[in-house]
Amino acid sequence: MPLFDTGCRRAMAGLIVTIAAGLSAPPAAHADLPDGQYHDVIVHLLSKVMPPQLDALHSSTATLATGMSDFCKSPDKAGLAKMRDGFNDAMDRWQEVQPWRMGPMMANGRDQLIEYWPDKHGTAARQFRLLLRNKPPLYTNPAKIADASAALQGFPALEEVLFDPKLAGQIVAKDKDGVYLCQYGTTIAGNLEKLTGELVAQWPAFADAMINAGPDSLDYPTSKFAATDLYRALHEGMLIIISQKLARPLGEGPDDANAKRAESWQAERSLRNISHNLKSLFAIYDGELNGAGESGKGMVALIGADSLLDRSFRLNWQKIRDASDALPDSMVAVLAQPGGFDKVQELENQVAYGVMLVENDVGGHTELGGGFNALDGD
Amino acid sequence: MPLMETDFNPNRRNVLRLFGLGGAITFLPAGFAKAATTVTAPEDRAVYISASAGNNDDFYVSAFNAQGKILYEQPLPGRGHDVGLRPNHVDVAAVERRPGLYALIMNRHTGEVRATLKSPEDRRFYGHSVYSSDGRYLYITENDFDNARGVISVWDAQNGYKRVAEFDSYGMGPHELHLLPDGEGMAIANGGLKTHPDFDGRTPLNIETMEPNLTVISRKTGEKLYQTRLKDDWHKLSIRHIDVTLDGTIATGFQYHGGLNDEVPLVGLWKPGGPELQALEAPDNVQYRMRQYCGSVRFDVSGSVFAISCPRGGVVTFWDAHNGKFLTNIAAPDGCGLAATDRKGEFVGTSGLGSGWRMDAINRKRIELPDDSLKSLKWDNHLQRISA
Repeated sequence: MPLFDTGCRRAMAGLIVTIAAGLSAPPAAHADLPDGQYHDVIVHLLSKVMPPQLDALHSSTATLATGMSDFCKSPDKAGLAKMRDGFNDAMDRWQEVQPWRMGPMMANGRDQLIEYWPDKHGTAARQFRLLLRNKPPLYTNPAKIADASAALQGFPALEEVLFDPKLAGQIVAKDKDGVYLCQYGTTIAGNLEKLTGELVAQWPAFADAMINAGPDSLDYPTSKFAATDLYRALHEGMLIIISQKLARPLGEGPDDANAKRAESWQAERSLRNISHNLKSLFAIYDGELNGAGESGKGMVALIGADSLLDRSFRLNWQKIRDASDALPDSMVAVLAQPGGFDKVQELENQVAYGVMLVENDVGGHTELGGGFNALDGD
Repeated sequence: MPLMETDFNPNRRNVLRLFGLGGAITFLPAGFAKAATTVTAPEDRAVYISASAGNNDDFYVSAFNAQGKILYEQPLPGRGHDVGLRPNHVDVAAVERRPGLYALIMNRHTGEVRATLKSPEDRRFYGHSVYSSDGRYLYITENDFDNARGVISVWDAQNGYKRVAEFDSYGMGPHELHLLPDGEGMAIANGGLKTHPDFDGRTPLNIETMEPNLTVISRKTGEKLYQTRLKDDWHKLSIRHIDVTLDGTIATGFQYHGGLNDEVPLVGLWKPGGPELQALEAPDNVQYRMRQYCGSVRFDVSGSVFAISCPRGGVVTFWDAHNGKFLTNIAAPDGCGLAATDRKGEFVGTSGLGSGWRMDAINRKRIELPDDSLKSLKWDNHLQRISA
C-alpha cells in the first residue's frame, strides 16, 4: 500500500517528517565501529567529493555573471535563451550542493541567500512588485545587493527575471523596466558568484575541523559525532524532498495540487532539481559524485561495500531513481498531464520508503541515526 | 575479581529489577562517606539525580557524584523524565514521562521509594513536578485528555501525598513548571500539543492549530496571573522547558513542529509582568545545529547565564540572561540533562549515550566526568543537583 495516497496527504507527509525527525523508536544498535572508520568517510566526502562540486558551482555562477553582463549590453531572444541555459547549469550545480547543509553552507544564512525557498508567505513576490514599482538603485549595485532582502538576491529572484515571460519580454524589448531588470539580474548573478566563492573559500577550514575531530575539539569531540552531520544531510535531504519539494505542490490531492508551490516552477525545473538532489544524496552514501571521489568510500564504507545491506540499499535507491527518471523536468507539465499527479506521488512514495531504509539500515548500522534523547526526547 | 559492595556493577541492574519498586538498594553510604572525608569543595560533594535507562527497556532514577560515579539506581516501572526536589527534605518526586501513570516519591540519598502516586483514570502525568517552597505541596503537570485541557494537580506531601486539588494550566499540553522567586507564582510551559491515550498519548493531534503559551498562576488559588505567547507565525513552536532565575526571569526552550529548514527562534526570555516573550536566535551556523529542538533549560548559579541543550544537534548553547545574547556553544553528543554547579557559568550535562561533562560557558571548556560507571546508563532528559 502506498505511503501517500490521496486524502489527508499533507497530514501524512507532516507525520512522516515529524516521526523521522525524532520521534521514531531507535533502530537496533550495531556493534561499535572504530572512530577511524568514521574519520576516513569524513575525509573522503569532505575533501575529495565536495570541493569539486563547490568549484563547479562557483564556476557556473561566474560564467552566468559574465554572461549576464554581456547579454545586457544588447539583449535579444537568443541571448536570453543562453542566459536561461546558464541559469540551468548553475542551478543544476546548486541542487547538487544544496543537501549538504553544514558548515559554510549554513553560516550567515548563506543557503537562504543563495536560494530563498520555500517562501511560504510569498515574501519574494511581494517584494518583487515593490522592486519593479520603485526600482531602487540598491538592487543594481553589486556592492550593495548583499544588504538587500534574502528573497531578492539569489536564484529565485534571478529565475523571476529570466523566466517570467512578461519580464523577459521587457528585457528583450529594452524598455525602462527591462533595462533595470537586466541590470538587476546581472547584479544577482554577481552576488551568486560572490556567495559561492565564499563557500569555496570557507569549506577547507570547515572540513579540517571535521577531519580533526577529537577530545580537544569543542565542536567535534569524535569523528563519529562529526559524521552525524553527513548522516543528517542524507536523512534531512530526503525529508525535505518529501515535505517541501513534493508534498507542498501535491497538496491534499489532485484537486488541490498546484505546481506553483514547487521550487523553481517558473523555470519549469522543479523535478529536475529533485533529480540533482538525489544524485548528490546518493553520493553521501556511495562516495562518488560527478567523477569526484570513489564509489564505496562514502557512508557505505561503514556498513560494508557490497554487503547484502549495501546491495539491498542500492536496489531500492534505483527504484527512487527510476521514479524520478520517469518524470519530466517540469512540475507544471507533469501535473497538467492525465495521471501526472500519481506519477509524482509515486516518486514521493519511493523517497519515503528510502527514508525508512536510511533510518533503519544506514542510521542503525552506522550508529549515526541519533541517541536516546535525540530519537525519543520529550 | 569479586566486586566490592561500593563498586557499581551494571549487571546488578537485572537483580534490581527482580526486587521491584519496593526493593530499593543503596550503593551510597560507603562511597559517599569516603568522598565526604577526602574532599572539601561543595561541588565535589554534590550529587546529581536523573532518570536513566539501560539497554533492555529498563528504566531507573539514578544518582551519581561529582566524579560521575553512580551511587544508586532505583528501577522504575516505565520511563521517567524529571525529578522534583522537596526543599529541606529527603523526598524527590520522579514523575513518569507523558503519558505517565505514576510518580514515585523517593529518598534522594538512597533511591528508596517512600510513596507512589497514581494519575486519575482521566488524567496522565506529563513528566515534571515542583514542590512549594515550604515543601508542603507537590505540583504535577497533567493532561485532562478528554477535555484537551492542561491541569496542575496538587498533592499534600505532609498528608501522605493525598491529591487535594487541581488547577487549570491555561493551555494544552503543560510540561515543565517552576515556582517564581516569591514562592507564590508558578510558571507553566504549556506546550500547546493535544494528545490522547487512544493515540498513544504522545502523537500530536493538533499541529496546525496548536497554541502554546507561557502562563503564571497562583500556586494557592490557581488564578491566572500572567500569560505570554509567541506571534502567530510561530505557533508551531512548542514552549516546553523553562527555568527561573532569582530575579524572576524565565528562560525557555522550544521544540518546533514545522519544517526542518524553517527559520524559527528556539529560545525565549520573559519576565512576568514585563514585555512579551522575547524570542532569541543563535548565529546561523549554531542555530541550524540546534535542529529545531531544545531538550532542557538551566540557569547557572549566578542567574547571569543560561544553558539550553539540543540533543538532536548534539550541542549545548549558552546565553546571556541579562540581554538574551548568544554566548557560545559546546558539542555534547546526545546531551540533554543540565544542572548548574555552584560556580558561575558552569554546568554539568548528561548524555543519552552515557557521557557526562562539566561545561564552562565563560571559558568555553568541556571536561568529561572521569568515572566510567556513568557510561553504563543512558541519561534521560533532565538532571537535578543536590548540594551536600
